[in-house]
Amino acid sequence: MSQPDLPTVFAALADPTRLAIVERLLAEGERSAGEIAEPFSISKPAISKHLNVLEAAGLIERRIERQWRVCRVRPEAIRAVDAWMDRYRAFWSVSFDRLEKLLEQPDN
Amino acid sequence: MSDHMNAAQAESEGRNGDRTLVVERVFRATPEKVFAAWTDPIQLAKWWGPEGMFAPDVEMDARTGGAWRTVMANDDGMRVTVSGRYREVSPPDRLVMTWGWQQEDGTRGHETEIVLTLEDVPEGTRLRLVQSVFETADDRNRHGMGWNSSFNDLERVFA
Repeated sequence: MSQPDLPTVFAALADPTRLAIVERLLAEGERSAGEIAEPFSISKPAISKHLNVLEAAGLIERRIERQWRVCRVRPEAIRAVDAWMDRYRAFWSVSFDRLEKLLEQPDN
Repeated sequence: MSDHMNAAQAESEGRNGDRTLVVERVFRATPEKVFAAWTDPIQLAKWWGPEGMFAPDVEMDARTGGAWRTVMANDDGMRVTVSGRYREVSPPDRLVMTWGWQQEDGTRGHETEIVLTLEDVPEGTRLRLVQSVFETADDRNRHGMGWNSSFNDLERVFA
């Protein structure tokens, strides 16, 4: 898959279950689909649908290892989100510099 | 990164995890003055955005539930519109607003929520900005936001 499409990535992450899945994979590394489904009270097919959405968005990739489907996060997707966050951080940092200057001016 | 197993818990913890941006700064001015810089359109136009940007058009109804909108432009003719609603306006301590790009056809792009808290400190005001990277589908439905694209707008602002 090529460059992650951020709107699709964000839409995929906008679901709390999918967000939890991605956060867990980020924290723990690879997990099988069964391990991923285990803590949730929703059905395995529902989890499968979520994994499909995450894969289509380029957030995770899956491979077959013996009898397991192993899932992991794709670093490119996370890097894209982090880069986007960095741009916002820069936006505020520069804006706050200008705000400082404005506030230091004598009152109108 | 927290090891949460419950989806509902994940929703709140995800917002406090590293998908949330936090920027803090102490300004040498009273909380009232800092708050006003955010809610007075004339002042906001003077500092919002990178150097070289100006805001030819700012509209704000700085009350809980009110809407705001600003056009950011530079001398190269680049223009972007950002807008949102105020979820909470409690001067001078707290301001909560949504922030999103607006396309030329009026559709809204990606939205985030900004929570500002202003603390009176001896040096002036400690301003803390917390910006959620994204909102969940429930939040979107509740607040009527859309998912149409344009992440490129932020890049254009910095071009």
